[in-house]
Amino acid sequence: MNDDIVPQFELGDVLAMRCGNTLTASFVPGSSKIAMSAYRPVKWSSRDAPTDTAGEDPVLIYMAEETTLYTEPLLRSLLAETNATFETLQTLGQAPNGVLKTQEYMKISRTYRSIIRCCLEKLEHAKKMPEVQENELKEQRYTEAIMTFYAIECLWHLFEILYMQQQHNQMVVPQLLEWTRFHYPHTEDRATDLLLMAEEASECDSYWDTLKKLIMLGQLDVTRAILSQHRKSNQAAFQAAEAILKSMPIYQDGYALQKFCSQWEYWQVDLERKLASHVFAAEPELEVLMHLIKGNNESWDKELLKSQDWYEYLPGYLLYTRPTCKPFELRIAVTNWLNRWSQLRPNWQMTQLSRMVMQLMEHDVKLFIYDAQKLNDSHWFATHLIDLIYHTGHLKSYFEQQTIDLTALRHSMIFEYGSYLMTSHNLWQLGIDYLDCCKHEGTAAIELLLPRIPLRNERQAFKILALAKRRGLINVEQDICKVLSKRAYNDQRYGSALEWATRSKDVLLVTAIADFILKHYSRTGIMLCQDVITSIGARMFISPRLVFLSKYYEFYEFYRQRDFLSGAELLINLLASKITPDYFWPSLLIDALPLLESEDPKIFSKETIAILQHLEMELVPLIERNKLNTAKFNNQTSKTVFKDYRVENVEEILDLMRLACARNLARALIIENTAPTS
Amino acid sequence: MATKVAAHYISEKVSKVRWLPEKLQQSDRFVTGSWDMDTNFVRVWRLHSNPYAENVDHTPRCNDKVAMENDVTGLEFVNNDTLAVSCADGHISILNVQRAVEEDQIERTARSERLHEFKCSKTSAPCTAIAVYGTDVATVGEDGCVNVLNASNLKQVKRTIEADSMSLLAVTYVGQHQLVTANRMGVIRMFDTRSGGEGQPKIAFMAACQDAKSSNYVSSIATHPMQQHILICGSEEGSITVWDLRNLEYPASYLSAHNSPITDIGFHRQDPSKLFTAAEAGEVWMWSEKKTHIDPSQQDGKSAWLSGDRVRALVNVDGVLTNIRKAVNSFDVHGTRLVCGSDTEAVYIVDDIL
Repeated sequence: MNDDIVPQFELGDVLAMRCGNTLTASFVPGSSKIAMSAYRPVKWSSRDAPTDTAGEDPVLIYMAEETTLYTEPLLRSLLAETNATFETLQTLGQAPNGVLKTQEYMKISRTYRSIIRCCLEKLEHAKKMPEVQENELKEQRYTEAIMTFYAIECLWHLFEILYMQQQHNQMVVPQLLEWTRFHYPHTEDRATDLLLMAEEASECDSYWDTLKKLIMLGQLDVTRAILSQHRKSNQAAFQAAEAILKSMPIYQDGYALQKFCSQWEYWQVDLERKLASHVFAAEPELEVLMHLIKGNNESWDKELLKSQDWYEYLPGYLLYTRPTCKPFELRIAVTNWLNRWSQLRPNWQMTQLSRMVMQLMEHDVKLFIYDAQKLNDSHWFATHLIDLIYHTGHLKSYFEQQTIDLTALRHSMIFEYGSYLMTSHNLWQLGIDYLDCCKHEGTAAIELLLPRIPLRNERQAFKILALAKRRGLINVEQDICKVLSKRAYNDQRYGSALEWATRSKDVLLVTAIADFILKHYSRTGIMLCQDVITSIGARMFISPRLVFLSKYYEFYEFYRQRDFLSGAELLINLLASKITPDYFWPSLLIDALPLLESEDPKIFSKETIAILQHLEMELVPLIERNKLNTAKFNNQTSKTVFKDYRVENVEEILDLMRLACARNLARALIIENTAPTS
Repeated sequence: MATKVAAHYISEKVSKVRWLPEKLQQSDRFVTGSWDMDTNFVRVWRLHSNPYAENVDHTPRCNDKVAMENDVTGLEFVNNDTLAVSCADGHISILNVQRAVEEDQIERTARSERLHEFKCSKTSAPCTAIAVYGTDVATVGEDGCVNVLNASNLKQVKRTIEADSMSLLAVTYVGQHQLVTANRMGVIRMFDTRSGGEGQPKIAFMAACQDAKSSNYVSSIATHPMQQHILICGSEEGSITVWDLRNLEYPASYLSAHNSPITDIGFHRQDPSKLFTAAEAGEVWMWSEKKTHIDPSQQDGKSAWLSGDRVRALVNVDGVLTNIRKAVNSFDVHGTRLVCGSDTEAVYIVDDIL
């Protein structure tokens, strides 16, 4: 947790060293990596020529990536679980204000902390596993994660005590004692050992040291229990100590403050008198304990030299000197205490954790938030804490005084954190929830980031599509479908491509694929992906070309099932439909040929005229146009223009068609006009 | 319903979850498969009674795991301790679970050749679902093929059917030799595993959809455990379509249910009057046939599910899990316990479900 050290990279390979270890870098598209390589500084005046040593050394490209704690699977559950809590908080924030809301916020805060603690426990457990012990890198990662999240829990807990509760008349000392107890559990462990040893404990070397620490941590009940087990506990000095400890007034809620203060003073005077009259003189160690309880500065200073961090014994000291300390009084107490501390330990370096504790106690939330963002947790802590602060509204006036726009701060933190999750591998499902809280910018970010998630299979694609659909991001849906359609098309899975295209509702794409299928048919006589065309149903109306394709397929099916009458009717409809693509006219008209030439007439005179009309009005001009176009490239004939497998020569077909039409017309006219009229 | 729900975060997106089969007692072991992780695992979990919190009776603990090559897409037990796993790399594997007093063990005993691949690019196609009948295992994939294998010999594919020209999303057995598959368009087809190629019956029907112009895939199909002719499908629009396999002209019932795609559907194995559905938006619902409501038309043994528009009147819906907000991908019920796997990276265990 060393801060203020900017991480440095250097290449240091031969090539880089040659030109003074300079480098160039660029972001690798589609990932969070940076590619770096050696670079020779070029100025406007340098000569644009290869250097003397060009080509001697290999060019090495280095890939750098931001390290993150969350590659560790255990920490994923932290992210996932806090995501759920975050959402609960958002819903709570929208609920109408009520009395119980403060308690609910408190509950949320505790949930966050219990998630961290649970995760810490898992990490500690995992760290002891043999496979981690053998792997130094992994162990170091675990240690780092434990340190970071331990600090976060510690700070969050303190924040909760100082800023989350009702401010007026609230006593912080008991809670602060609880807080230190939690974060310095060693003494308590020792105390338990001593208690178990019963009478023998008094011979133990660390007996009095442990007791002193217990006193300084404010754990009077345990101290009394241990003392009562002492061999000499029946002696006067011990009895007196027991009486003092027992009678110490403890402030309780609802108790009149005045009354408590007078009781407290009386007790203090009593203790002082006993000390002055050397009641404990027979037991020098016990006397030290009593001096500590009295708040004797000399005794405290002596013990403070042994403490681990500046805030370790502060709550204990407050217990004996200012038991009714309120949050706003804490600030002065802390300043005094720190002065004292720095005089005692001038060489002591503050760690980031102890500085952040100081900031919280001195009510310097602004700096605290600033420092919180430097933690190695990808802003997990800062984001969630600021969000909670925003919702509770306790520090509203503070932020107004400091001219900090809390709403904007929260917004930008959540946005950054959400974008980070969205862009890092397989955390996108969590990230999207955070971006959802960011109004327009969030939606815009989702719209940009969602299509960039690598699509590995359709199941994942459907999940992304569902997310996009729920947010009404039609463009994203279309993009993803189009990508998948294109992918399937390139892989010659045309059925799949067609279906993805219809999902994308992109007219051009659907038309292109339908075109491909029709052209493929007219070239080879093979109808692709028949099963898809059969079941396309009402989805065909996306593109006229698709309508044509499925209607033509219907005709094709009639034809195959030898249902010529229905086939003929459909064919006439298709001819008249005006959606026939140019390239398909020859195919379509040729399909009419067997129907016209069949032994028993199938097409009426009126329809025959229609076919003839289409032949002359559509196909002939088409051929003419094509001829005109191809004339410029001399040796091409109309044959190559219409690549129909059945068309040897278009002109020949034209003649055949005209003949067939004439014959059928003659036949049909005769039959129609001789038929008995009813 | 006095149900207790306990969520356990396991740091993995769960794609499939199954209880280990137990004949006579409540199963307290289950397996999960993960997806979209750096390494995907099949894990075996065991419920341990929880001495700490008062609201949670059991906590699952991972006993053993097997790393898979890609996303786990299907998990089905072939017998008491053999598990068929389909994977998004187009292979299936057979895993063996050994129950033990202390730590259960799971290991891979066989892995198939690549069963699904895209023909043109020769790349593997994800295997999307798996179904088991006896020792036969049927797989479907994004390449539109159905493969049938025997669990004891994965090296030999008994039958390959080129069923569809797009990806199949669900498969189930409706008889020893009859398979039902569903594709991305919502087309359900029936196949006979005995005949290959041309000999296949051409039976196809389409899941109903409110908006005929939009696509509606069928994500899961299930059959009634006692009345095998009842086929239930859950679809993309969140609706349930019920088919009577004896009469395929039109769907027997159609119910609009969830607001998001249905991810999993299935009857309670021991108590077929209960149907469960899970949805992408993070819901699990229980549909139970009303016992008191008996009318004459039902007495001919006709199931409530086949009664068309009246299904709503004959069936109760309860939310078992709501408000999870992320997809519940899979569930399994055994006895009175339900376990769900979700994209929230948690498993949910619901006690006293009945």
